[in-house]
Amino acid sequence: MDPVPAGAAATLCRLRQDVARIEGHETALDVGTPLLTLGVAAIDGALQGGLRPASLHEIAPQAARDAGAATGFALALAARAGRAAAETLWIQTDFAAAEVGALYGPGCALFGLSARRLLVLTVRRPVDALWAMEEALKSRALGSIVAELPGDAPFADLTATRRLAVAARGGESFAVLLRHRVSPLASAAQTRWHVAALPGQPDRFGGLGRTALSLSLVKNRRGPTGRFLVAWDHHERAFSALSLGVAAAAVDRPGRAPRRRAG
Amino acid sequence: MWLRRLSTDRVARRGDAPGDAPLILVEPVKSALRVQALNDAAAALGLMPDLPLADVRAMYPGIIVREADRAADHALLEAVADWCDRYTPLVGLDPPNGLLLDISGCAHLFGGERALGRDLIARLQRQGLAARLGLADTPGAAIAVARYGHQRLVAPGDTRAALLPLPLAALRLPGETVAALAQAGLRRIADIAARPRAPLAARYGEHLLRRLDQALGHEEESIAPRLPVPAYVAERRFPEPIARSEDVLGVIAQLAGDLSRMLERRGAGARHLQAALFRADGAVHRIGAGTAAPLRDAVRMARLFAERLAAIGDACDPGFGYDMVRLSALVAEPLAPAQSGLDSTDRAAALAHLIDRLGARFGAPRLTRPLPRDSHVPERAVAAVPAQTAGGLPWRDVAPPAQDSLAPLRPLRLLAPPEPIEDVISEVPDGAPAQFRWRGVRHVVAAAEGPERIAMEWWAGAAGEAPRDYFRVESRDGLRAWIFRQDRRGRDDAGAATRTTRWLLHGLFA
Repeated sequence: MDPVPAGAAATLCRLRQDVARIEGHETALDVGTPLLTLGVAAIDGALQGGLRPASLHEIAPQAARDAGAATGFALALAARAGRAAAETLWIQTDFAAAEVGALYGPGCALFGLSARRLLVLTVRRPVDALWAMEEALKSRALGSIVAELPGDAPFADLTATRRLAVAARGGESFAVLLRHRVSPLASAAQTRWHVAALPGQPDRFGGLGRTALSLSLVKNRRGPTGRFLVAWDHHERAFSALSLGVAAAAVDRPGRAPRRRAG
Repeated sequence: MWLRRLSTDRVARRGDAPGDAPLILVEPVKSALRVQALNDAAAALGLMPDLPLADVRAMYPGIIVREADRAADHALLEAVADWCDRYTPLVGLDPPNGLLLDISGCAHLFGGERALGRDLIARLQRQGLAARLGLADTPGAAIAVARYGHQRLVAPGDTRAALLPLPLAALRLPGETVAALAQAGLRRIADIAARPRAPLAARYGEHLLRRLDQALGHEEESIAPRLPVPAYVAERRFPEPIARSEDVLGVIAQLAGDLSRMLERRGAGARHLQAALFRADGAVHRIGAGTAAPLRDAVRMARLFAERLAAIGDACDPGFGYDMVRLSALVAEPLAPAQSGLDSTDRAAALAHLIDRLGARFGAPRLTRPLPRDSHVPERAVAAVPAQTAGGLPWRDVAPPAQDSLAPLRPLRLLAPPEPIEDVISEVPDGAPAQFRWRGVRHVVAAAEGPERIAMEWWAGAAGEAPRDYFRVESRDGLRAWIFRQDRRGRDDAGAATRTTRWLLHGLFA
């Protein structure tokens, strides 16, 4: 690998800052709002410290059976994002509730997000979910906002997500779009995650192990993408990296650079 | 106020019959059709209520006959009462065709009692309703002079003089009583007012004297208002009706400013607001909006109604426009003057406002907080309480029974109702399933915990339902589900015990 000349590195750094300013990312950094860390070194490294609050993120289940896993990841993020007194607004459509079940308060409480801090809004049309999310983001009254989009949700395109991203930028709320299906549409979200359920490691007596998730970071505006295997400890509200022998090999290599240089 | 020809006016307004031709409405009474109501033209022919239709037809074969509809009459009366709200908030019904308006303290707004009466009669006439107004110190006297009096505006203190010459029927007495009194030669109120009371009560019942006392003001009679009387009201009238929704919202914003100042003077905040839009043709739209915390901010009030109007859409048709808009605080609560600027109070206020706006847009029951309840049955362990009202409720965390497990005991999503799963195979009788099929996909169970037996609550009306045995299972590809088995025990025709088992999937874990 050729060492990058010192002058070029400085230019590159300046250009990156310019791009960041144009894209409007750095507001959160300037204000000094704490980043939302996942507590797993590999992920936080890829995210350059953690997820930005005051920005939009997308989560989708890898397959239909992973709906619960995706819900769990969104809930876990909301549980970690909320400041002590901040509330979480969860927006569901009637159809989503019928398809994969309505959010269950006692379950959420056990998973780590106190039901005291949970507000659930059910709307009839998916478009209403986007409207409600935008209004909630503008009000700046909430810690995090999760909106579920059932089906393909073709209306949640680049324009619609851009609106949400702009609305999110003004406040401190952490915004999550929870799609029910992986979408090929472009999105203005900071990060996009595909979540799959992972078989947990049963305990010594054959019972269930900790909730295990496979997180594929498929879009990351601030760094490399990758796939990470984590377990969620609902008592500590903390993720921990899973070090499975087989799984380690399956982790995607984040960097694209070496291949380009070879060519 | 007496709507003399309410029923026939209703038919004529509908365009169902020519306005000035004789018209009668009939209804079946004891297997014969009898006249229930008639218009002025029919009355001029000498017809009376209660005549059999056959007799009327014999006399006037060409008369127009329609069926009576008391429910529609009542609905019209209610609508007129709604409309009368523009004169006073205290409007009571006097079925079948009367309305009681308490205009004490309101008449000067319309230039005096006489002017108010003229305005009321003229407006009703334009809507095709014949009305006669009586004005007196007591509801009973007003009813009497409206129907039987020559002098209909009775000055304060003149009630007795005005009532004495009227027939006894003016006292709202049953027909039999009036007939019995007539047999005794008692026809006018003056005839009984001067007589000893005890024999009258003994002969004709207490009711007669009560009605007399009510009319004369010796006994208090209050008008039962149809609608809650608002604590705070602001309103605007327009010489020209307004129809554009921007204008309506603008007026509501102005009214919100007025209301806000009123509330501030009293140190109160509104918990329930109502905007009443009075359409020029008499219809009234009432739009309500609840709030999560006492509200005094005019801008926020106006925004609530902007959401409501957007959500209602076409259901609120302005037609030819509104000629009056009223904003009232139906429920108000004390609200201490707040010192704004502190971050936490700002956020709490912003959250309350967001809750109100989302509630106004989607309906308050759609924005909920999951309030834990003391029940073991999963679907009853949580109550979705509207966020606007959840503020004051006691919150008690109810934990499910502790269990030694690395995974949470309750799922994140609950299916309602639980979905049946098929092809369930268990390795051990009554044990956890080894595989099952849900929504057409086969899942092989890798690990399971359970059973957790949950008995139905017999005191909550689920006595017949068998207990459920819940298992938390994890399939080989990671699906974590909460499934349960329910045995139904019974006896077959031969009397032998039978057991049918069904498996259902109730929720999904992460």
